[in-house]
Amino acid sequence: MTSLVPLLKKYAHKLKHPDILFWMMPFMILLLVVGTVTQKEIGIQRSQEIYFSSFVYMLGFIPLPGGLTLMLILFINLLAKFLFGSDWSWAKSGTIISHFGVLILIIGGGISYFSSYEGYMAIEEGGSAQLVEDYHQRTLVIREDDKIIYESHFENIFEGMAIDQAPFLMTITKACYHCGITRRAEEDQTGWTSPGKFMQLNTMTPNPQDEKNMTGIEFSISGAGDEQDGKYLTFDKFPKPPNIIKNQKTYQIAIERATRALPFSLSLQKFNQEFHGGTDMAKAYQSLLTVTDGDASWPVLIEMNEPFRYRGYTFYQSSFDVSSDKPYTILAVVENKGRLFPYIATLVIAFGLILHLIIRVSGRRKENV
Amino acid sequence: MFKFFISFLALFIFLYPSYAKAELPIDKFGQYPILHEGRLKPLDSFARYEILQFAKRENPNDTDPLTWLANALFNPVQAVTEKIFFIDDSVTRHKLGLEERRRPFYSYAELSSGLDKTSAEVMGIIRNTDIQPDKEQRELLEVHENALQYKQILRSFSSVLPLNISLSDEWREKAGLSKTDAVTFAALQKINAEIEEKIRHIVKQKGEDPAKYNLKEQELVSLGFQIKILAEASENNKLFRVIPISMDGNFASPWELMNDGKGSPMAARYMQDWSNLALAWQNQDATKWNAGIQSLENKFHDDQIKNYDVSKLWLEVIYNQFAPFQISIFVFAASFIFACIYFVNYSPIIYRLGVITLGSAIIIQLLGLLFRVYVMERPPVGTLYESILFVGLIAPLLSAYVERVLKNGIGLLSGAITGMMLGILGLSMAGEGDTMKVLGAVLNTRFWLTTHVLCITIGYGWCLLTSILAHLALLGKAFGRVQSDTQDQLIKTMTTHALFSLLFTIIGTILGGIWADQSWGRFWGWDPKENGALLIVLWLIWLIHGKIAGQISQLIWIGGMAFLSVIVAIAWIGVNLLGVGLHSYGFIEGVFWGLAGFAIFEFILIAALMIVITHQGQKNYAS
Repeated sequence: MTSLVPLLKKYAHKLKHPDILFWMMPFMILLLVVGTVTQKEIGIQRSQEIYFSSFVYMLGFIPLPGGLTLMLILFINLLAKFLFGSDWSWAKSGTIISHFGVLILIIGGGISYFSSYEGYMAIEEGGSAQLVEDYHQRTLVIREDDKIIYESHFENIFEGMAIDQAPFLMTITKACYHCGITRRAEEDQTGWTSPGKFMQLNTMTPNPQDEKNMTGIEFSISGAGDEQDGKYLTFDKFPKPPNIIKNQKTYQIAIERATRALPFSLSLQKFNQEFHGGTDMAKAYQSLLTVTDGDASWPVLIEMNEPFRYRGYTFYQSSFDVSSDKPYTILAVVENKGRLFPYIATLVIAFGLILHLIIRVSGRRKENV
Repeated sequence: MFKFFISFLALFIFLYPSYAKAELPIDKFGQYPILHEGRLKPLDSFARYEILQFAKRENPNDTDPLTWLANALFNPVQAVTEKIFFIDDSVTRHKLGLEERRRPFYSYAELSSGLDKTSAEVMGIIRNTDIQPDKEQRELLEVHENALQYKQILRSFSSVLPLNISLSDEWREKAGLSKTDAVTFAALQKINAEIEEKIRHIVKQKGEDPAKYNLKEQELVSLGFQIKILAEASENNKLFRVIPISMDGNFASPWELMNDGKGSPMAARYMQDWSNLALAWQNQDATKWNAGIQSLENKFHDDQIKNYDVSKLWLEVIYNQFAPFQISIFVFAASFIFACIYFVNYSPIIYRLGVITLGSAIIIQLLGLLFRVYVMERPPVGTLYESILFVGLIAPLLSAYVERVLKNGIGLLSGAITGMMLGILGLSMAGEGDTMKVLGAVLNTRFWLTTHVLCITIGYGWCLLTSILAHLALLGKAFGRVQSDTQDQLIKTMTTHALFSLLFTIIGTILGGIWADQSWGRFWGWDPKENGALLIVLWLIWLIHGKIAGQISQLIWIGGMAFLSVIVAIAWIGVNLLGVGLHSYGFIEGVFWGLAGFAIFEFILIAALMIVITHQGQKNYAS
């Protein structure tokens, strides 16, 4: 034990060295610049995956530390400095407090990274919802009547894949993350069921804006009976996904966004939008909802910059759709256990920096006197 | 299309003078309110924005914008020949079949056939949403959009302007017109249903061949056709919303009253005044013109229309005429000249003149911003342009404080430089159209504009001041023109300001994250604007820690702080070039080369100064 303390001190001394921060910073700045500039081509989500949420990224043929690696190094360096290298004096109190604030910020970031979940709910006026859809994650779902009997993330779907969870065999013939639709040539229409008889999916380069990617599959069904066997297609947001009927049960095959059920439900009573006079620019929009949790239900109002928080979930007025008969509200839903950390960190950092400046400026005045 | 438009205009060739000279008092007309782009603004502003959009300047034909507007509204036949469209791009001119001229200004009449010729191409560009239009396509689109907008202005009052249509006594009586009254579309609307019914009856009896009709029937069908032309021309004409339709601040264009059923007894009273104004303008009758304006003003007062604030409208006209942010550039420039002279001869008089001009420029800038706060009822930092104006106040203001403390001309010089540079930048970013824009829902929050945006823009201002101080420190040392105690003071001041820069940028950045958390549900989304703010923070942290830990020399410390201007420019303006992310702060094209040029210039300047200093063997910098 006695020999462990000097060893720890030795390593702590090395870990707190300012050289680490100094030489890490250019990598951080480079990462920030590369990760930002490439967003124009690959979009924010992909950029996050490649640069900011990775341990290593490639700049040409050079491997460089990604966001996670750099944040980890920064955290260790700052923690070591805070615990073992701080000059616990009044003159340095502002700096110490600021560093502590940055530590809180990084811890909060870490908690958010591992615990947060983002999705959205689209609720029709007069309707209710309990499922939160993922922004990005697409899944292939087979339902037996209303029960899900097969579900797989789209990344795991490949051409030639056979799925036999239903009482028939489904074989994937084409899978495209971003599909374009063109008219199917007459000579290729044999064996296809409508609408695949008239349209075909074509693999396209994924759009940097992920929400614009239309994910779809073409597949064949066998063993469902002569009338049901054939070639089908379906895609994300397709209003009429194919239904296969066998043994008096209906099997629906659909590409959907991954969902997560809330422990309560929301129903939209009224959606209001206010425009700037004579324009179609929204000045404000708001949703009047009813929350139902068990036997209890109560009204809530969600509007821009005024979210609703309940049981660890936060609901934000994200968008709306008034193109159909009844308006839809679109709420962003976030579950984030690290939500409060930035608020605390802001206060701590601000206090620390202001204290540091006061000490510095008053010290200079005394010096001048 | 062009033939259609000309035939449409031909209906108005009646009672018009050859040219309506602006001999009528136009100022009061300029204060009349119009609901445009979501905001109630004076016609003076509307006229300026529109003509600026078409002609890229406010007075292409040496006519003031209001006179141009009044002529376009009340004398469209003449206005169609006014050369107000500035088409700078030779390819676009060629596409439109326009003749080359020294000053590439063209009239609507000259453009019309070219517009018809290129309309298919324009529709193709609009429909193809997958591909971003190139420069030439954008130019062509702009010409078409401008022409469409101008056409709307020309037709704004075609419902009440006298028409070149003769009516029989019978129809006159039914339309409520006396024998001497001019025929207007509004009057024709009263008899339109009956005319249509009669035409249907004729067609049913005699078929569609007009040759089979008698003279009276032919006249009736012709009248119906003319009414139809006028009605079609009015479709979607919603630009000129000047008629209050209710007391809650809703306004409609004259054609909206007719086509969208927005008319009311209240609207009819206003329309009558506008009709009188049109006649007064055509006849250059000052008495009737003034009476019309006064009558409209009285109605607004009596009806207590919501959001109608005569003092705001008046102030906005004054603001337009005074152009405070353009004047402040010149006053900052004067201050810069005095500061430069002061560093040559150290004359106390020159110093005082410099201080006075700097103070005056700051006050003008402040007044301009206060006016914008008053009109927009929100902090003046909702758009990129506004943030430039605000930083254009903060940086010189902080410099003035530096000058007050140091009293050595450094604050004077830095204030003048930042004020002047930011003023020019603001001018180039103002673009065409209204700079006092209404904000989208997410930005429409006073709290976050006051906290996050003010904080981060103060941070930008402080960074720019720090950078200027660093430049001065480098220049002073490289050319040995500054005394050593002044030089030491300068470096100490710069260091303190670097810390303030860090304070405001770091707090502003985190507040932005909290706003994002409140609005979008995530604290940090690696959005380009967020990353830009973080870039400044990282740059400052890197240099400050490098200095404290002794990893960088004082020369690199100063050089790095001088380069902060480029970092700020990238974070503040450059990230908008990417056109990515949730921030609707403003996507700007054409700024890339300016930004790149600035960055290269700064890099060369700072590197050159550092090399000169190193060569001079300035050990105190290099150690």
